[in-house]
Amino acid sequence: MSFDIVVQLLFSGLSVGSIYALVALSLVIPFKASGILNFGQGEMLLLGAYVALALSLAGLPYWLVMVLTLLISAALGAVIERVLMRPLVNAPEFTIVIGTYAIGLIIKYAMRLYWQDDVYRLPVPFSSQPWVIGTLRINPVYAWMLVVALLITAALALFFQRSRLGKAMRAVSQNQQASRLMGIGVERIFSATFALSTALGALVGILFAPVAGIHPELGNVILKAFVAAVIGGFTSLPGAVVGGLLLGVVETFAGAFFGSTLRNVGAFAILILILLVRPNGLFGTIESRRV
Amino acid sequence: MRSMWTARLAWLLAIPLLAVLPLALDGYQIYIVTLVLVNVVVAVGLNLLTGNAGQISLCHASFMAIGAYTTTLLMTNLGVPFLVALPTGGVAAAVLGGVLALAAIRLSGFYLALATLGFLEVTQIAIEEFGWLTGGVRGLMAPRPTIVGGIDLGSDLHLYYAVLIVTLFLVWVAYNLLESPVGRAFNAVRVSAAAVQTLGVSPARTKLTAFALAAFYAGIGGGLAGILAGFIDPTEYGTAATLRHITFIVLGGIGSLVGSIVGATVLTLLPEVLRGAAEYGDLFYAALLLGSLILMPKGLVGLVSHWTRRGPVLSEDVTPAQDREPAR
Amino acid sequence: MSLLTLEGVTVRFGGVHAVRNVSMAVEQGEIRGLIGPNGAGKTSMINVITGMVPCTAGSIRFRDQEISRAPAHEIARLGIGRTFQHVEIFSDQTVVENVLTGMSRHLPHGFWASALSLPRARHGERAARLAAEELLEAFDLTQYRDVLAGDLPFGVLKRLDLARALAARPLLLLLDEPTSGMSEVGALQAIETARTLARNHGISLFVIEHNMRVIMSLADTITVLDYGEKIAEGSPAAIQDDQAVIDAYLGANADA
Repeated sequence: MSFDIVVQLLFSGLSVGSIYALVALSLVIPFKASGILNFGQGEMLLLGAYVALALSLAGLPYWLVMVLTLLISAALGAVIERVLMRPLVNAPEFTIVIGTYAIGLIIKYAMRLYWQDDVYRLPVPFSSQPWVIGTLRINPVYAWMLVVALLITAALALFFQRSRLGKAMRAVSQNQQASRLMGIGVERIFSATFALSTALGALVGILFAPVAGIHPELGNVILKAFVAAVIGGFTSLPGAVVGGLLLGVVETFAGAFFGSTLRNVGAFAILILILLVRPNGLFGTIESRRV
Repeated sequence: MRSMWTARLAWLLAIPLLAVLPLALDGYQIYIVTLVLVNVVVAVGLNLLTGNAGQISLCHASFMAIGAYTTTLLMTNLGVPFLVALPTGGVAAAVLGGVLALAAIRLSGFYLALATLGFLEVTQIAIEEFGWLTGGVRGLMAPRPTIVGGIDLGSDLHLYYAVLIVTLFLVWVAYNLLESPVGRAFNAVRVSAAAVQTLGVSPARTKLTAFALAAFYAGIGGGLAGILAGFIDPTEYGTAATLRHITFIVLGGIGSLVGSIVGATVLTLLPEVLRGAAEYGDLFYAALLLGSLILMPKGLVGLVSHWTRRGPVLSEDVTPAQDREPAR
Repeated sequence: MSLLTLEGVTVRFGGVHAVRNVSMAVEQGEIRGLIGPNGAGKTSMINVITGMVPCTAGSIRFRDQEISRAPAHEIARLGIGRTFQHVEIFSDQTVVENVLTGMSRHLPHGFWASALSLPRARHGERAARLAAEELLEAFDLTQYRDVLAGDLPFGVLKRLDLARALAARPLLLLLDEPTSGMSEVGALQAIETARTLARNHGISLFVIEHNMRVIMSLADTITVLDYGEKIAEGSPAAIQDDQAVIDAYLGANADA
């Protein structure tokens, strides 16, 4: 197999993987802080995509759409957290799983009521004509996804290391009790992490939309994000990123060799295998219930 | 013990009622009550696994699919008689349920939910992949069979009675199991796997039994659902179905056999009652699920037993002095 | 042959030695006490014997069978039972159901007999319920028979824990602080019941206790742990006068 094709596949894999990585991050961040694994996170993505669509159809330019969508999504995320997620914080796992699942479905079906099953296109400010570099053909949309994902990951890393809010989030995810004693408003942090995760999801929705189109099933990418998070170990942020990228690359190569159906089975086979053999994934540590 | 007479009474009333019911109904209505019975079987199975044994399963629909395809394919491709094909479908589902259980044994909570979600997806993909067998996305025709004695299940009335017999039998078995060491083991494992081990019960074996049992019920339900509809539609065995099944047991009362029967009945009949709101159907279901979860954690059955509370209630006068909490 | 033999048993979690090179032997029909200051490793002893925590080193033999690597439910099936310091009862089940669950390993009816309500199952259930009633009677729990365990006060739960453990008809019963949380009256009653049942049914007891009055009057032999190591072993009288024991308790400033 020629070098060009390998690079091509690698690039596609990393681009798709960066999407998985971002969604995985949006799952793991609130999970670490509040112990809630949001089984409806895919629909937060969907929400963002539809908000962006609405703004776009209203005639706003792409950049403004992006910024506004992120702000609106963050706000919506904080509201949803306060109203629907907060009651679940110390609930039994079954309730959290089914509750968040139901919340996601409510969002999906509500969107579907208005937008129907039609597939919408989000206009992007660059053409989808592939750039040709030597013998490589690079899809600008994919390049954009990859670049944004890298920037966001770097920004998040900085955020968690340097900013007060970021450090507070880290404190809460390590030890709620101690954080409280140190004067950190734990509930406020829950809202903030959820707002962050919804905004992340919305961003992914915007990035992914040109590739997949906007339609009610967009949220299904969450399943891949789960696999990515499991690969990385649920308690690790870098792990989620690595897991996502790894999954994207493995999937793309598998798809090239074995056809598209097997590519999907591969992802879930990996999920089940990891859960059986090494539930802590590559980087995770033993999870203990939040005190 | 306390509910034994209520149970006997329920059986005594229900059976003749269900036996004469269809004679008063038209064809479409018979189809609906048959569907209720099928959903009862599915709900009872899921409740044993999730409500009693405490294992989260988001792939109950997959076992239905396995049962549906196995039963129908055995009948249409290999000419296997219905009375053999149906239980075989159940067993096939049970075997796969056992396989999934091997994953469940190590996992719990979120991880288990994820694994079952993965299994759900894999089944959907497999249905498509093996399209030459399953008909893929186009689905599979599931014609009504005739059974021993020349009874034609093509007649809605005959099918109803066949399904009724199966349902009554499976509900009876579930009831027996719940009042036995098996059922007690389920409930115990859910609350404290540690304590149950010290009593000589293997949590692993208990979970295996629960998964296989639930899958068997789902497989039977699937086999029946297929021939009831006359068609197996693969999209019926995805996340929407999962939502419905879970809502059956949550609304009815998780952990309660009666609850799962009530939940399945109410939710199957509801869309019929609320005609014209088809679009809102899924949204309504999801909202109902969330509402039940938060507002009615013990389901409808819990509400009823709360209003009709009897039995010993602990109070200061009743509790002997030496049993009261020591004053602090 | 001793009923239970421990040789050089060590239990280590990460860097912490919960139990350090402990050897002891419990005889058939004996009532053995295990005491020691807080954190001495007493509960870990019970946990390692019952297989709930792994045995890092050493050997544990029950009726001459090596059990240090066996799974917990297998160990229970061999005839070792236990109660829990913080009672692990089945809160969603009634009192009688808790006791019935305790009997699981002795009931003659398995899955198929139960599912199809075969005569064997029906007789088995009836016999089990009668036996359960007797046990409830013995522990003064009859009035709570159909109450959900989760609704009961701690003292009652302690009795239930004991009744349930005895329902399994163990040969050796490990009791983890059986009287904690009970009133003085309740404690003495429970211990008398346990002792009577033990003597009558030939059950050997292994009891962790903080209540000195109770353990001194109950036990035949007492083993003392401190920092995971055995520091003394002997009759109650001997232990009370043992300097090492006195030092351990005074030194650790523990309650006694």
